[in-house]
Amino acid sequence: MKAITRAIRPEQLREITLAALIVVVVLFFSSQIQGYFSGRTFNRVTASVAIIAVVAVGQTLVVLTRNIDLSVGSIVGFSAYFVGTQLANDNTLSPAFAIALAIGLGALMGAINGALVAYGRVPAIIVTLGTLAIYRTILVDMSGAKTVVVDALPQWLKDLPRTNLIQIGELDIRLMFGLAVFVVLVFQLVLVYLRFGRRLYAIGSNPEAARNAGLPTQRIVFSAFVLCGALAGLAGFMFLARFGTITVVAGQGMELQSVAAVVVGGVNIFGGSGSMIGAFLGATLIDLLEQSLIRWLRVSEFWRDALLGLLILLAVASDAVILNRLRRIWAQDGVSVQGKPVE
Amino acid sequence: MLASPDKAPVLEMHHISKRFDATQALDDVSLTLYPGEVHALLGENGAGKSTLIKIMTGIHQPDAGEIVLDGQPVQIANAMQAQRLGIAAIYQEPMIFPDLSVAENIFIGHAERTPFVNWGRIVREAEAILGRLDVKLDVRMPARGLTLAAQQAVEIAKAISLQVRVLIMDEPTASLSAHEVEQLFRLVDALRRQGVAILFISHRLDEVFAIADRVTVFRDGRWISTRLRSEVTPEGAIRDMVGREIGDFFAKTPAAQRGESLLSVRGLSKRGVFSDISFDVHRGEVLGFAGLVGARRTDVGLALFGIEPADSGEIVFEGRPCTIRSPEQAMRLGIAYVSEDRRQLGLSLPQSITANITLPLLRRYAAAFGLLDFKAEEQTAERYKQQLAIRAPNVQVEVGKLSGGNQQKVMLAKWLNTAPKLLILDEPTRGIDVGAKAEVHHIINALAQQGIGIIMISSDLPEVLGMSDRVLVMREGRQMGVFDRAQATQERIMAAAIGGAIPDSPAPRADGEGMA
Repeated sequence: MKAITRAIRPEQLREITLAALIVVVVLFFSSQIQGYFSGRTFNRVTASVAIIAVVAVGQTLVVLTRNIDLSVGSIVGFSAYFVGTQLANDNTLSPAFAIALAIGLGALMGAINGALVAYGRVPAIIVTLGTLAIYRTILVDMSGAKTVVVDALPQWLKDLPRTNLIQIGELDIRLMFGLAVFVVLVFQLVLVYLRFGRRLYAIGSNPEAARNAGLPTQRIVFSAFVLCGALAGLAGFMFLARFGTITVVAGQGMELQSVAAVVVGGVNIFGGSGSMIGAFLGATLIDLLEQSLIRWLRVSEFWRDALLGLLILLAVASDAVILNRLRRIWAQDGVSVQGKPVE
Repeated sequence: MLASPDKAPVLEMHHISKRFDATQALDDVSLTLYPGEVHALLGENGAGKSTLIKIMTGIHQPDAGEIVLDGQPVQIANAMQAQRLGIAAIYQEPMIFPDLSVAENIFIGHAERTPFVNWGRIVREAEAILGRLDVKLDVRMPARGLTLAAQQAVEIAKAISLQVRVLIMDEPTASLSAHEVEQLFRLVDALRRQGVAILFISHRLDEVFAIADRVTVFRDGRWISTRLRSEVTPEGAIRDMVGREIGDFFAKTPAAQRGESLLSVRGLSKRGVFSDISFDVHRGEVLGFAGLVGARRTDVGLALFGIEPADSGEIVFEGRPCTIRSPEQAMRLGIAYVSEDRRQLGLSLPQSITANITLPLLRRYAAAFGLLDFKAEEQTAERYKQQLAIRAPNVQVEVGKLSGGNQQKVMLAKWLNTAPKLLILDEPTRGIDVGAKAEVHHIINALAQQGIGIIMISSDLPEVLGMSDRVLVMREGRQMGVFDRAQATQERIMAAAIGGAIPDSPAPRADGEGMA
């Protein structure tokens, strides 16, 4: 026991547990569903995780500061639709321009959220609930209820979802999934090695102390929202590439999926703790369950949502209860995890 | 060790004034800090100490006056700038980030040249600083769960890492044990030797005399005196702190004769909060509770009203022993509690005067089918509006729109309507203007004459002395004594509240003697 408690911290156990759970889920469904353990399942799951993971990374930045962004679903839809329309109109637009446009649009919408929260001092849940509706309404109005269709899109975009990064045996690692993993890793490094990352934790951990320590709290919160919007914009581009056909309801529900991923991934909803790896694993677990339950005929469609809801409740409850228990076990082993004097 | 006058001062505050609405928080005060001195700042609650700190740390801007750092006039616009100038503050409750590691807590406010966190360096330097302070902590672990003393050590380490020149310590010892205080003083001494100027604020005179080089006293927002420690006695300091005259503005009608005992409390204790509190309240008597902030007087009030019940002790109410575990129980006995915090605990600001007054007794206003009888409610509200002279166009006005004094009267009305036998008033006149204050005092007198027993918790010493038949003094959760009206002087009560030696007999009033 002591060897374990010395090697890892309770907070890290969260991520290890999630990874283990993912393995258990895969093994369980392999025994239940014919032909489940295959490259096709892997592709299906990774294609869907790639998008939600990028949104969840942005959501994590915001949640760490003790805020929330409920407008990400609308930003994804807006960016997917707007960029899709541009590309459909002019097939010669460069990929770099399309991606930059998606990210820029998202950042702009994130900046509106951030300005209202950080400088307008309106609670984030209210601001983003409002912009959730507003961004979607602008999209509906702009579209005239028309749909972006696959055939109108340039060939490079249609090919993108099937582009492989590398192939390991039967498993294809798609470019889009690789991009998502890259985003997760980059922002994990930001959290650990950039002052900006550490300040996000500080603000969520104790906002008053952050102000007293002279941190530019408003600017940091604003930046978190801008980045969250930018990442949602990028996810919108990925959404466009994956589905091709974009209606005005694109991305709806992603706000809740991303919050669920973040919470299941062990990011404290009251800010101050959590990691990108955790959020990524949370997104993976939720998506994996969703995809698997669809194919598991024993569970009706209706119960699927209830099961996922249960998972979220469990995750939040365990955050408070289990972590405290673990800290106590660690403390009994005489390993200081709470910075007690080690005299 | 003493600040020698030949050294140039680090920080000079010249003729600082600051006003908040009706309150003149600071009135033309000056203070000079020399490198390597511990400068104690004393004063009662409301003397302006906190305001001065907030001006030094850039949280408030002075209305008038000049701040000079190293001979250069400066403006301290915000916390970040104060930090850049080398001014930092440590509060009674340290400001730590529980989710960040100890090392990060120390270095969080640092402006580095690159945007990268150099973990190796941060950990090394944090260990070095704590090592120099002789504090043993694992700097890689989250700060969650550190003891208060350890948190303060982290804050001091943070100040050192910022190469602070002026360190303000606002009641740093208030929540520490004696042993921890000793450790803290060693840290303070280490800082002093490094040439840091320390502004040390404490209510504990013994500590001040143990560590300070110079002592400054503020009173009512004004500067009273600054002396070398060797030239001050505790008695002199107390005199400077309280030495003001009591106007005859407290028209106290002493209890004609003490009625029978209403409430009798013996050995009331709550672990870690207060212990062994014993007193009696008689019908028609005002028992004042005096003490400094943190003396735990409010906690005794909360215990008697059942909000935070006591652990042990006897309570006898109207001759019957009882335990009070909830506000409902207390209200059934006939106890009412008018809380200190009108906005958070006492009143529902968006609701009308009527709705607020009738809230505790809504059952009484329920007519057929449980529908509320608005007319009866309004009559009650009107009656109190006249009786207590609540100034409002009508009783349907939102309470949030009233002035502080009138809000206080609505609070009183609310509880008087429950026909209490014992009324606990917690800071009944805090934050209301002089006129309204006199009216509230008048009401309290009238209630006592009707035979209601009153416990009045107040930090306003003249008010306690002027209004009470007897005064109970608390200090850090302990009862320091009960003084009859005839024996209660400002000096004796202040001495008991601070823990100094209590003058034997009613000492002659210090009539402006302390006014330097």
